[in-house]
Amino acid sequence: MSIQAGAEGRRDGSERFVVEAFGLTKRFGERVAVDDVDLQVPRGSAFGYLGPNGAGKTTLIRMLLGLTHANAGTMRLLGRPVPAERAAALARVGAIVEEPRFHAHLTGRENLTVIAAAREPEAHGRIDGALARVGLSHRADERVKRYSLGMRQRLGVARSLLADPELLILDEPTNGLDPAGIHEFRAMIRGFVAEGRTVLLSSHLLDEVEKICDAVAIVDRGRVVMQGSIAELARGSQQTILIATSDEERALAILAEHRAVASAAAEADGVRVRLRTDVEAEPVADDIGRRLVLAGLAIRRFEPARASLEQRFLEITSRLEEAA
Amino acid sequence: MNTTTITVELPRTRSRAPWRPRLVSAEFLKLRKRRGLVLSTLALTVLPMIVGYTVLLILHATDPARHGAAGGLENFSGSMEILWQLAVVAAILVGSTLGAGDLGSGVFRELVVTGRSRLALFAARVPAGLGLVFAVAGTGFVITATASTVLAGSLDAPSAGVLVGSAAWLGLVTGLALVLALGVSSALGSRGTTIGIVLGWQLVAMPLLLQFGVLGSLRKGLLGAATGRLEPAALLGGGAIVPMSLVAALAVIAAWTVAPLAAGAWRTCRRDA
Repeated sequence: MSIQAGAEGRRDGSERFVVEAFGLTKRFGERVAVDDVDLQVPRGSAFGYLGPNGAGKTTLIRMLLGLTHANAGTMRLLGRPVPAERAAALARVGAIVEEPRFHAHLTGRENLTVIAAAREPEAHGRIDGALARVGLSHRADERVKRYSLGMRQRLGVARSLLADPELLILDEPTNGLDPAGIHEFRAMIRGFVAEGRTVLLSSHLLDEVEKICDAVAIVDRGRVVMQGSIAELARGSQQTILIATSDEERALAILAEHRAVASAAAEADGVRVRLRTDVEAEPVADDIGRRLVLAGLAIRRFEPARASLEQRFLEITSRLEEAA
Repeated sequence: MNTTTITVELPRTRSRAPWRPRLVSAEFLKLRKRRGLVLSTLALTVLPMIVGYTVLLILHATDPARHGAAGGLENFSGSMEILWQLAVVAAILVGSTLGAGDLGSGVFRELVVTGRSRLALFAARVPAGLGLVFAVAGTGFVITATASTVLAGSLDAPSAGVLVGSAAWLGLVTGLALVLALGVSSALGSRGTTIGIVLGWQLVAMPLLLQFGVLGSLRKGLLGAATGRLEPAALLGGGAIVPMSLVAALAVIAAWTVAPLAAGAWRTCRRDA
């Protein structure tokens, strides 16, 4: 879809970030749920807010949307300060917070009518388009209590489209979806980004964030511990190379002398080489291969392992646990 | 779900109407689609009137010597005594549902996320609730008034003045019950608790307190004393239970209108969604 006409002027606005939070803090009694968070979500991207359950992801989203107040810090949504200009900012924000909730006794269309009534007058005219976008046109006049969880998630997306949003905030949107539904959901989110919208996706699923998002912030125990593009974050993690040669002992000796190698150990399927985190993996891998060949070793396997976001995430969070 | 491309044209200019009834319509939609609620309010207001006058009609038809005409002022007065009490119960059911419906279903959060002011969300509930309550209580009243007039026979039928005064008074007591229940429900966030508290207050505690002469002029602060002051004299309970001036009665009614609405609005604006 492109719910786009009339929106060009807004979408290519000069604001580089659609969400900006500085020093954002939320306490529940003694417990700090969100701890001095700085966050910048670039316009026109799919941005993952990644962290384990209980890390404070939903609380941060609730503060951004004005569902609960912050104890400290400042926020801007679409360039507008929140909560001072909350109404104007939220007029172009669509959101699903936790599981989408509806009046079960109303139909899907009626539920959208209720929300459209709270939005600008044009929102009512977007109902049919939004329902079609999520594939619910044929079930729109059934009561929501008959909807499956997946259908409710889709209806939640349709509801968030009534704002013709520049920013979509989706909190764990694939919870409860089957694999096919998850696949479709990913495609839909990428479609939103292709239209120039920004998607802020909160999730505890690394795989989901890695597949959907362009950039990510990793949050743990209320704090953003790392923020950047997926490639940048993965680059910071330890790279490994699995090497099988004709002489493992000589290979280990050569590797031990290499300055970029952090460790090398023989395993069942070859020698596992771990590189230092401060080196560029590709030229180092080239150099290692060259040295082994020059030493007269036959190389049967040479497999650099791409560091995944999952590895990086586990490294970061385990480091934090050790520090705690 | 598919990813079909759909283009929705959006107007480039936006109207900024100071007050739009779309929110009220949405609230009314939520209410009227609750079949159980609508049926119960009809069962409380319309059904007893139909049954009552049907029974009176049959009794009169079978034994005119012992049972007078089904209509007339006296039967109208008796019917109104039942109707206003049942209409108050209906209003409490509607008000409680209105105040806690969005919270109970979790939709309040979705409404807040639109950026619309919470005060506007709360305010829209009042006319929507009054619309439903007046519709059902009004239907009950129309049946009563029509039957009392058409079936009066040789008895005195209620005059136009009595009918208008009674209708206005019924509107007042049901409207006040709705406002009270809506305010309490919005403040507490619980439909069941509100029904218990407001029903207990309106139908048990307040009538009892009105009978306690030892309370003296303190009773003037009770809503029942003020509405009793305005009740048409032609009705069975007509006349003030606690003597008070018209101005004092209006002031008490204003206070009982503003206080629950203020409490409900304040809580709606302040609560975590």
